[in-house]
Amino acid sequence: MRSLTFEEVTVRFGSRRHGTVAVDRVDLAVPAGQVVGLVGESGSGKSTLARAAVGLVPLTSGRIHPHPRGGGPVQMVFQDPYSALDPRMTIGASIAEVARGRTDVAQFLEMVGLPAERAGVRPGALSGGQRQRVALARALAGRPEVIVADEITSALDVSIQGAVLNMVRDLQRRMGLTMLFISHNLAVVRYVSDIVAVMRQGKIVEYGPVSLLDEPQHEYTRELLDAVPRP
Amino acid sequence: MAYLKRPLGISAAVLLVLVLGLALVAPLLWQERADAVHPNEILLGPSSAHPVGTDLLGRDILARVLVATRLSVGLALLATAIGVGVGLLLGTAPTLLGRRVGRWITAVINIAVAFPTLLLALFFAVIFGVGAKGAVLAIGFATAPAFARLTQTLAATISGRDFIAAARVAGVGRMRILLRHVLPNIAEPLVVSATMAAGSALLAFASLSFLGLGVQAPGYDWGRLLGEGLAQIYIHPAGALAAGVAVIVAAMAFNLTGEAVARGLVMINPDKPRSALVGKAEPLPGGGLLHVENLRVSYGDVTPVRGVSLTVGAGEAVGIVGESGSGKSLTALAIAQLIESPGRVDADRIEFLGEDLRHGDHRKLLGTSLAMVFQDPMTSLNPTHKVGRQLAEVAREHQGATRRAAWRRAVDRLAAVRIPDAERRARQLPHEFSGGMRQRAMIGMGVMASPRLIIADEPTTALDVTVQRRVLELLADVRAAEGAALLFISHDVTVVGQVCDRVLVMYAGRVVEDLPTASLAGGALHPYTQALVSAVPSMTTDRDRPLAVIPGRPPDPHALPAGCAYAPRCPLATERCLDEDPTLTVHDDGRRVACWHAEAHLEGAAS
Ligand SMILES: Nc1ncnc2c1ncn2[C@@H]1O[C@H](COP(=O)(O)OP(=O)(O)O)[C@@H](O)[C@H]1O
Ligand code: SF4
Ligand SMILES: [Mg+2]
Repeated sequence: MRSLTFEEVTVRFGSRRHGTVAVDRVDLAVPAGQVVGLVGESGSGKSTLARAAVGLVPLTSGRIHPHPRGGGPVQMVFQDPYSALDPRMTIGASIAEVARGRTDVAQFLEMVGLPAERAGVRPGALSGGQRQRVALARALAGRPEVIVADEITSALDVSIQGAVLNMVRDLQRRMGLTMLFISHNLAVVRYVSDIVAVMRQGKIVEYGPVSLLDEPQHEYTRELLDAVPRP
Repeated sequence: MAYLKRPLGISAAVLLVLVLGLALVAPLLWQERADAVHPNEILLGPSSAHPVGTDLLGRDILARVLVATRLSVGLALLATAIGVGVGLLLGTAPTLLGRRVGRWITAVINIAVAFPTLLLALFFAVIFGVGAKGAVLAIGFATAPAFARLTQTLAATISGRDFIAAARVAGVGRMRILLRHVLPNIAEPLVVSATMAAGSALLAFASLSFLGLGVQAPGYDWGRLLGEGLAQIYIHPAGALAAGVAVIVAAMAFNLTGEAVARGLVMINPDKPRSALVGKAEPLPGGGLLHVENLRVSYGDVTPVRGVSLTVGAGEAVGIVGESGSGKSLTALAIAQLIESPGRVDADRIEFLGEDLRHGDHRKLLGTSLAMVFQDPMTSLNPTHKVGRQLAEVAREHQGATRRAAWRRAVDRLAAVRIPDAERRARQLPHEFSGGMRQRAMIGMGVMASPRLIIADEPTTALDVTVQRRVLELLADVRAAEGAALLFISHDVTVVGQVCDRVLVMYAGRVVEDLPTASLAGGALHPYTQALVSAVPSMTTDRDRPLAVIPGRPPDPHALPAGCAYAPRCPLATERCLDEDPTLTVHDDGRRVACWHAEAHLEGAAS
């Protein structure tokens, strides 16, 4: 497995004058085989950073290793299970498109706990949790060394969220995957991550082992922690 | 093709088949009759031999009109094919060639859309000479820009979806993405609009031929027949009208079929944008605000909502929690009268502000006193309009605000939902907003006015904690300022606990528990409520153990178990639970629970 590193990465949308700087000279390392949880409020640049890692957003400056490109060693899983799969394609075809016929689809479905017979159905027949499993299977079919997971449980019910998180953690440990796990939910990040990075207005403001959530140094991290709803 | 099953759809489709059939067979059957010259039968009126009479050369007009079907329809289809082909090429070019080239093409399309057909026709007449060829090209190229624009808009919507991003990440090429992912997903609306374009092309072609710019003698299409007939209209009106009627009937066949299919598509399209209903508050009559009794929503033989009863008092905040598919959204939509056919709503009572919503038209009441905030901001915002303008429209429509006042209010509301730099952001399109900002804008739209009841369906599901908190604070502010009540739907028990006074827990289309939020943490009586509460990871969850999950899945609405719907997943289920469905029973403190063993819990908790 390899690590994922961002060096001085800046992403600007729009022109130099009127544009917005979504990611501002970010240095971030996701060590091989570890899970880095990235938290921060919406609009802070988390998704942009994620999309830059897989080449969906061009860099304004800086470097990312491994170099972002289609079909590369980094795969991504998206937030919205309803938009993540082509409604006109069977889930088997969606997975096969990524696997490029190198392996059989059934293996990946089984990996995420779906029966292989379901390969012929379209996403419309699946629940949100099942679609998210398919999306993960599709990412795995690309034989990635690094997975970028952007808010993958945010749209799911709590009951299903638990099952998906258990599966993600299990797969990550078994396959030794390197993972950038993005979520606005601190409890979720705390549960799956080894390292936590806190992002604000395009910058990483705090980075450290997950235990930092018990004793945050940066004021903003404290603010985030205070906002967590408590029953 | 279910959408063709309605009366209008059927008649239009039948008509279209007839027109196309005629185009094929008419020349085979009546060509000779149409061409036969009878010098002694010139300009006769209708008779049994010539139903609409004869023309200057004594030819049978009806036969000529029927025979002309092939050329008229054929040329219109050819022109449409050119228009659609060029339109598709231009419209998909931005997807294929990337953003920079795409911007130029878009500019070209926008200029071309504004170009009048007739001018194009004259232009091509000059280049290709007057005749059918010039006319086909003119109409084709005149159709192309609008079609290109439609294609481009549709393609842009699809290209924004994550599955396109996923395909790109996987290294799938642009051409393949276009062919495999984009085109299949926009095919239906394109076919519909091509059908309607054919109708317009038919009319346009008839006009050009009529003006002498289209088909030239000795060939003839409906436009030319119309022109010939018109010269004799005072002597022989039927002969002039026959071609006109043919043009209108054929154009209608195309247009109505397209429209019927389009309407069907909107009806069955789950992504259809819904607008927020918002407006000014009205004086509140005494008592509760909303009473619902025994609400049922069914689709054919499934009933996803099975007898929900609830009340919301003035100013009260009531939460509905439950897994997806439990019927939360349908309950909300039924209350707001937004269930569309084939859905069916039955209830013993749905009363809002003292009005019985089950009968009659209540759009005015709902439009002015109920605000709805939906789960998915992208489908609720129009992708082609500035965000600020969409908010302002609400104030203009329901409050009669001036353009400037409405715009100021829109910017103010955007700022209120913490959209940074609201003035500038108001001028942007929805896709320029991040997901969270879109949702905030949507909530801003929901609170543009001062509603009596806000129904919010999963409004904060995709938001991060800090924004979520602000949004909840905003909702709380509106409630405090206007005394509005809130029906707050969420799958997240924790959030509901923060916002609401009371929670209704739904399972398989029923309310299974109705309890004060204060009791959620330790005092829930229903096993399902308890499981939901413990499935949420917290800041103290043990990181080394798997998360608690609710085993199994909710029942299939097609095959509900005989007894308690939760029994297959319930750790406390007994024989009785499998046989008998527990009813929602009211307890002393006003709490309601549907569980055979809740009493035992109560007693257990008391002792
Ligand atoms: N337009 C529809 N046609 C048929 N079934 C529907 C439709 N809309 C919703 N349903 C079904 O109704 C049930 C409840 O849906 P919904 O109210 O959306 O649940 P929730 O909001 O709790 O997730 C689900 O089984 C869903 O599949
Ligand atoms: S009625 Fe029985 S099966 Fe249903 S929730 Fe209560 S204990 Fe469980
Ligand atoms: Mg819902």
